Amino acid sequence: MVELKDVSVTYSSGVDALEHVNLKINDGDFAFVVGASGAGKSTLIKLLLKEIDATSGTVTVNGYQLNHMKKRKVPELRRTIGVVFQDFRLISSMTVYENIAFVLRVIDAPRKYIRKRVPYVISLVGLQAKANSYPTELSGGEKQRVAIARALVNDPSLIIADEPTGNIDPELSYEIVELLRSINRQGTTILMVTHEHELVRRFGGRIINITEGQIVFDEIMEGSDDEFLEDLGNLNDED
Amino acid sequence: MMKISGIRYLVEQGIENIWKNRMMAFASFCALLVSLVLVGISVLAYQNMDSMIGGAESQNEVILYLDEDTSTEEINRIGNEIYQMQNVAEVNFYSRDEAYQDWKEQMTDYDILFESLGDDNPLIDSFRIRVKDIRQMSKTVSQLENLDHVYNVRAPYDFVAIVTQLRITLTWVMSALILAMIFVSIVIISNTARTSVYSRREEIQIMKYVGATNVFIRLPFFIEGMITGFFAGCGALVITWVVYDAVAGILQNQVALLSIIGVGSMIRFEAIYLPVTFAYLLGGALIGAVGSAVSIRKYINV
Repeated sequence: MVELKDVSVTYSSGVDALEHVNLKINDGDFAFVVGASGAGKSTLIKLLLKEIDATSGTVTVNGYQLNHMKKRKVPELRRTIGVVFQDFRLISSMTVYENIAFVLRVIDAPRKYIRKRVPYVISLVGLQAKANSYPTELSGGEKQRVAIARALVNDPSLIIADEPTGNIDPELSYEIVELLRSINRQGTTILMVTHEHELVRRFGGRIINITEGQIVFDEIMEGSDDEFLEDLGNLNDED
Repeated sequence: MMKISGIRYLVEQGIENIWKNRMMAFASFCALLVSLVLVGISVLAYQNMDSMIGGAESQNEVILYLDEDTSTEEINRIGNEIYQMQNVAEVNFYSRDEAYQDWKEQMTDYDILFESLGDDNPLIDSFRIRVKDIRQMSKTVSQLENLDHVYNVRAPYDFVAIVTQLRITLTWVMSALILAMIFVSIVIISNTARTSVYSRREEIQIMKYVGATNVFIRLPFFIEGMITGFFAGCGALVITWVVYDAVAGILQNQVALLSIIGVGSMIRFEAIYLPVTFAYLLGGALIGAVGSAVSIRKYINV
């Protein structure tokens, strides 16, 4: 569960990145976070990962109160969150298997469990044949599947996907979102940040629009032809 | 608390990383090697120069002249008393007869003078004393002057002043040189370690995002740095040994000259082999490990 209560973030440069944001994402939700560049989407992610602290307000993620969290507790929080980045961020010197197994090694998981869990997660993202390949030998879509498998392997409560379709072809983007939705159906909360309105329009669901550091829209919309989703597209295009 | 299997994995990672990042590991190895050789040779040069000055110091001689009528028993007693003194390294009795004989041998052109003296020996008995620490010479001379039947004590104060000044100058110059070498080494090592860590900053960031603790991230870097440093220490030891032996070989041919000017020869490498090996290997491993672990600090705070 993610909960932000009256959260503001002001950077040392004086820029107000978030202003009085109130947001609650329940366990098992799937939410799109949309907004133009510089709207505050990245700040929101940094806040949830405890990369930065809120200037005011309270932030709760997976039961952790982030405002008063000690530094040594941060790894514990991050082990409950899976992160998928636009640029994949795979370790180039490691194979697909090693990139995923690495997360379990970080939490000191038993070797036996790693040997069982990693192939299972690789099969979930359909990359059994590529388990021993290095990232440089994969396509953009495959890399992102590895990144999703890596985010998933630790069985996190929440997956934050930061523009996961930004570096891949449109048709593969749908596959990635489908994959995330299927993970969501197993009970994992998904927060997907994107600026691709076409994806949002196609899949619908909960849509949170951040503009100039404020949440200007937070509704659940279903269906690809919904009139409101069309309006949302127009709203973002104006940004 | 991390499990043994977890620690084993991190140690394996540290070893694997050396091969995976072999170019940067080689750069770190070279930087450490050069630094260790620079500092090591400076320290050995200082120790040898100090030892050579020590050799010159050991040539010091204080002469204690006895009263003319001092009996043999008293001479023996005084000799013993001198020998018991803390700062005395060596005591030799030099009888007036020996002195007269030596004098005659040195002044063969002055036979007329010795003929005029006949059997009348104008010289007096003396002790030739070598002190351990020339900085304590004046104190020792005072003690000698307070003994019974002492006619006069002559000490080479000019020599002491020159050697002491030489040692002070050498200590300052070499300390400055060694400090400069250490500073240069720190700059080289930290820059290389930072470059090495910079090339892997993304890897560190990923580790942080998936919930790795700082110990988990640092340990492989620590192991990697330690192994690289250890091998750099081995390399530095071999280079130092070869250079040392070559210099010692050149100086060995100049033994005669060295003894004429009163300085000792170089310390044999066999005599310092163990501490030098220990210092190089331990120093290399420690500097390598700490250098790597400290350099990732900037990237670890994500």
